[in-house]
Amino acid sequence: MSELAAVVGMGQTKHSSKNGEVSIAGLVRESAEKALLDAELEWEDIDAVILGKAPDMFEGVMMPELYLTDALVANNKPILRVHTAGSVGGSTGIVAASYIQSGMFERVLVSTFEKQSESNAMWALSTTVPYAPLINAGAGGYFTPYMREYKRRFNVPEHIGRIVAVKDRLNALKNPYAHLHIPDINLEMVEKSPMLWDPLTFLESCPSSDGACSLVISSERSVTDNQLPAWIHSTSMRSEPTMYAGRDAVNPQAGSECAKDVYKKAGIKDPIKEIDCAEIYVPFSWYEPMWLENLLLADIGQGWLMTEKGHTSLEGKFPVNMSGGVLSSNPIGASGLLRFGEAAQQVRNKAGEYQVQGAKLALGHAFGGGAQFFAMWIVGANKP
Amino acid sequence: MSDKEILKADFELGFTYTRSTGPVIGHFLTELQKCKIYGIKGSDGKVIVPPAEYDPVTGETLKEFIEVSDIGKVKTWVWVNQPLEKHPIQAPFAWALIQLEGADTNFLHAVKVKKEKIMKNNMKVKASWALPPKGNITDIKYFEPI
Repeated sequence: MSELAAVVGMGQTKHSSKNGEVSIAGLVRESAEKALLDAELEWEDIDAVILGKAPDMFEGVMMPELYLTDALVANNKPILRVHTAGSVGGSTGIVAASYIQSGMFERVLVSTFEKQSESNAMWALSTTVPYAPLINAGAGGYFTPYMREYKRRFNVPEHIGRIVAVKDRLNALKNPYAHLHIPDINLEMVEKSPMLWDPLTFLESCPSSDGACSLVISSERSVTDNQLPAWIHSTSMRSEPTMYAGRDAVNPQAGSECAKDVYKKAGIKDPIKEIDCAEIYVPFSWYEPMWLENLLLADIGQGWLMTEKGHTSLEGKFPVNMSGGVLSSNPIGASGLLRFGEAAQQVRNKAGEYQVQGAKLALGHAFGGGAQFFAMWIVGANKP
Repeated sequence: MSDKEILKADFELGFTYTRSTGPVIGHFLTELQKCKIYGIKGSDGKVIVPPAEYDPVTGETLKEFIEVSDIGKVKTWVWVNQPLEKHPIQAPFAWALIQLEGADTNFLHAVKVKKEKIMKNNMKVKASWALPPKGNITDIKYFEPI
C-alpha cells in the first residue's frame, strides 16, 4: 500500500531567450525559492532533491546536480538526477512522487531547468558523424515528417496547425511567466511567418528558452491546512526504441500504453469526460491533434476536429495548454515539469487568469527523444 | 576484411558554449580585470575564494565580497613532469592548492618553479598577472615563489 503524495508548491522563472542576469545555479534557485514560498516551507523542511534536465551536452555542464548542490541546499541530503530527454521534466516529477509514495521521504523538492542561451540545442541534437547522412535538422526537421504523415493519413486541412499556434499564444498572454507574448497573434500572421519545415511555419514552432521550474511534493501526513494540495492520483512512464520495423511514429504505442495505464491507475474509464483539462507537450503545432489521439482523448483521425471546433481553447469543452504550453515557453529540461505543475495549479485553483473554472482533475503529459519516451500524471483537487 | 577496406574519417565534435556568470562569479571575473582577487564571506565568517553563490553550510545567498591578497601559501601540491598542450606553463610545473592571505579556503592554480625540489608546503607565492587582463581566470598566468 503506497502513501498518498500531493503537489503543495510550484515555482517558475519568467522564461526568456536569454536570462543573462543569472548563472545556471541562480536560475534554478529562483524557481526553487518560489516553490518553497508557495508551499510555505523552509529549506530545512526538504528531505531530498530530485533534479531533471535534458542532455548535459546542451550547456556543456556534466553532472550538473553536483554543481547545483549548494544552490538547492542539498548538502548532506539525498540528491538524484533524472534524464529522459525532452520528457525529463515529467519523469523527474514522477520519480519525486515515487519517493513520497514509498514512504521514504516526507517532502521532496523537484527542480528542472534549461539555459538554452548557453549553447545551441539544435546543433547538439544534430552532430555530424562521419558516413552518416548530414541532417542538421534539429528537432523540427526530425518531427516534421511525422506531422506531414499525420496530415496526409487523415487528409487534415492546412489551417489546423495554425489554429493551435494562435490558441496557445493567446493563452500565453494570460501567463506572466510565458516566454512569448505576441499580443496581435492571428491566423494570418502565423501563415505568413517564414516556412521552416513544410507545413510548419516559424510561428508554429516553439521558442528556445532559458527557464526553470520547481515543485514541492509532500506526503499526506505532512500536508498542512494552509497548503492547497494537488493530489497525485496516478503516474506512468513508457518508452519504445527510436527505430524498429513497424513502429508508428505518428501514434507511438508507448504513448497510448502510457495513457491507458495512467487512466486505469486513476480509475478513469472515460478520460475525455472525466478529466477537466490537460497540459500536454506540444512543441510544434501539429502535435496537439496527434497527441489528443495518442492520449485516447479523441478517436484516431479525429483529434484535429477537436482543435478545429475550438474544444481545446481556454473556454472550450476540453482546454489544452491553458498556460500557453511548450509553444510559448521551451526551457527543454523544465518543459515537462511545467506541464505537470500547470496541471497541478489548475486543480489547486491557482492558475490565475488561465484558470479553468471548477477544474478538479487534470492531466500532465511530456514526451521526449524521437517521440519515444512518455511520462504522464493525473492530479486532482480531491484525494484519490 | 583487409585494412584497406576500413573506412577512416576525421571526427571533430565542438560546441560554442557561452556562460552567463551571474552576480557572484561575474564579480570575481570583473575584478580579475583590475588584477584584484575577490572572495565572499560565508555564514560562518569564513572567506571563500573563488566566491560561492550560495553558502555551502546553510544554503543562503551570499553577497558580502571581500578582497584578498594575490600572495598566499602553498598548502599542498603535485608535480607535473610532462605538461600537456593546454596547461598554463609549457615546462615542468606544480599544481598547488594556495591559501591566499585573507582567505579561509584554498585556491587551485599553477606554480612556476625550475625544479620539483623547490616546492614545499607553506612556501609563499605571488600571482603573476597576464597583461592586459581580460576578465578571465587565465589573467593569473601562474604563481611564483617570493
